[in-house]
Amino acid sequence: MTERRQKFANLGPGLCFASPWVVGFVLLIVFPFLASLYWSFCQYDMVNPPRLVGTENYQRLFRELKTGEGFGKAVFNTAYFAVFSVPLSIALGLILAKFLSWKIRGQAIYRTIFFLPSIIPVVAASILWIWLLDPQDGMINYLLSFIGLGQQNWLNQSREAISVDNVKQIGQSIQTGGPLRVFGSKDGLVLISLWGVGNWIVIYLAALRDVPHHLYEAADIEGLGGLRKFWHITIPMLSPVIFFNLVMGLIKSVQTFTSIYIISEGTGAPNESLLVISLHLFVSAFSDLDMGYASAIAWLMFLGLAICTVLLFRTSRYWVHYRAGSV
Amino acid sequence: MRFENIGRHLILISLAALFSIPLLVLFSGSLKSKEQLTRDPYSLVSDEVHFSNYHDAVAAMPFWQYTLNSLTLCIGCVIGTTLSCALIAFSLSKIRWPGRTVLWWTVIIALLLPWHVTMIPRFLIISKLGLYNTLWAIILPTFLGEAFFIFLLRQFFISIPDELFEAAQIDGMSFWQMFSRIAVPLSIPAMATVALFKFIEVWNDFGSPLLYLNDPQKFPLAYGLERFVSSYADQTHLLLAAAVLFTLPIIILFFLAQKTFVQGISTSGIKG
Repeated sequence: MTERRQKFANLGPGLCFASPWVVGFVLLIVFPFLASLYWSFCQYDMVNPPRLVGTENYQRLFRELKTGEGFGKAVFNTAYFAVFSVPLSIALGLILAKFLSWKIRGQAIYRTIFFLPSIIPVVAASILWIWLLDPQDGMINYLLSFIGLGQQNWLNQSREAISVDNVKQIGQSIQTGGPLRVFGSKDGLVLISLWGVGNWIVIYLAALRDVPHHLYEAADIEGLGGLRKFWHITIPMLSPVIFFNLVMGLIKSVQTFTSIYIISEGTGAPNESLLVISLHLFVSAFSDLDMGYASAIAWLMFLGLAICTVLLFRTSRYWVHYRAGSV
Repeated sequence: MRFENIGRHLILISLAALFSIPLLVLFSGSLKSKEQLTRDPYSLVSDEVHFSNYHDAVAAMPFWQYTLNSLTLCIGCVIGTTLSCALIAFSLSKIRWPGRTVLWWTVIIALLLPWHVTMIPRFLIISKLGLYNTLWAIILPTFLGEAFFIFLLRQFFISIPDELFEAAQIDGMSFWQMFSRIAVPLSIPAMATVALFKFIEVWNDFGSPLLYLNDPQKFPLAYGLERFVSSYADQTHLLLAAAVLFTLPIIILFFLAQKTFVQGISTSGIKG
C-alpha cells in the first residue's frame, strides 16, 4: 500500500513538469496525425466541411504513379535526388573526414573551411547557387569549361545525368562534336547538397576518434596499405554511424523543400523537373486548396519512408557492425 | 614523413579551395558594381570596392523591419523552446512517476514523424486559434516543447548524478527548487546548445513564414529575402549583398560558439 502510494506520489509534479508536452503531443501531433488520415479519404477545400469520398484520392495518386504525371513525377524526382545525394554525401563526408583526421598543422582551419558551408542559411545558399549554376555566366560552368564541359544547363533544363535518354544524347554529341550537355536541374540540386556535407563530417570525425588505435597498429604489422586499412578497419568500425547517416539522410533528402521552392520559384520548374513530393504536397494544399489529395500525398509519403526505413534496418544486420557494449 | 605531410596539405588545400570558392565569390561579388559583375564575375580581388551595394540592398526592401521580425521570432522561440524542453526533459529524467516511459516513447515517435503528415491540420489549428498572419503562429507552438530538443536535454540531465537530487530531497527541496537550483545551473552548456540551434533554425526558417504569414510587415528576413529574389532577379549584385547581410550573423555566431556547435552536432547526430 505504501509502496503503491509512493509510486504515485510523484505523479502530480511529474505530470505538471511534462504538461507542455502532453498538450503539445495531443494537439500538434496526435490530432493532426489522425485528422490528415481522415481527410485523405475526403474532399476538402478548408472552406466547406470535408466530404467523405472513399479511396478516390488514393486511386488518383496510384493512377498518376502509373502515368508518371503529377505525383508520379514528384516521386521520380524525389527518388532521383535521394538516390544520388545520400550515397554521394556519405562517401564524400567519409573521405573528407578521413583527410581531416590527419594530424597536421592547420587541421582546425581546414575543418572550419569544410564545415562553414553547412551553416549557411538555405535561403542565402540558394540565391548564391542560382547565380553559380547560371548556364551563361555561372562560375561552375566557367570552371567546367576547362575540361570541355562548360555548357551545362544546370537549373534550366529538365535533364537527368543518369538516364537512358541522356546517355543516348551524349553519345550523339560525341559523334557530331556538339557541346556535351550532361547535367540537369536535379543534378544541380545534388551538387548543392554535397557542398553542405559539413554536418556529416563532424559526425564522422567524432566517430573516427573512437576507433581503437590498436587495430591500425595490428594492420601496420600485417603490412596493410592505407587504402586497405580504410576499407577493412575504418569503414566497418564506422558502419553504425554510416547507417545512422543513411537513415537520417534519406529522411532529410525526401523532405527537402526550401531550396527547391526558392530555385524553382515554388513551381517545380523547369518543366516540373524539380517538382518533388514535398513541393507537390504544398502546391496541392495551399494553391489548389485540395486538402484531401494533399493529405493522401502526405500519408503515402509517410508510409513509403517508413517502409524504406524498415528495409534499411533489415539490411543493416548484414553490414553494420556493432561493437560489444556499444549501441 | 615530411613529404607525406606536404602531399596531405596539397590534397586538403585543393579540396578546401573547391569548398570555399562559392563563399569567396559570394563576398567578392557582393562588393562589385553591376557592370563589374557582368564583365568579371569571379575575380576575388577587384580594382573598385562597392560597399554601396549593402546600402542599396538595405534600401531596396524593408530590411530593418524584416530583421526586427526575425529577431522577435528568434527570441520568442528560443525562450519557448529552452523553457518548455528543459521542464519536460527534467520530468522525463529526474522525477520518477508512472507514465514517464510512455511519455518518453511519444517523444521518440514525434522525432521520427515527417512534418508533412501534420502540416495541414496544424495550419488549420493555428488559423482556428486566430493566430494566422501573426508572429505568435510560429512562437506559441515552441512553448509546447519540441521532440529533438527534449531528446537532447534529457540525455544531458541523465548524466547528472541522482545522488544530488536525493540529497536535495532529504533537505526538503521541492521539485521546482531542484529544477531551478540544481538541474538548470548544471546544464547551462546543454541549454546554450539548444538556444543556439533554435536561434539558427528560426533565423533560417523559410517554411513557417511561408505557411503562416502573408502581411509583408510581418515577414522575417529569410522570407522577405526570397520575395526580393523574384523581384530583383536581374540585380545580382544587390541579391548577393543581401544574402551576405543575412548570412553574416550566423557566421559570427559560429565563430563565437564554435565548440558548442561541433559538440552539439556530434552528440546529437543531427542539427535541426
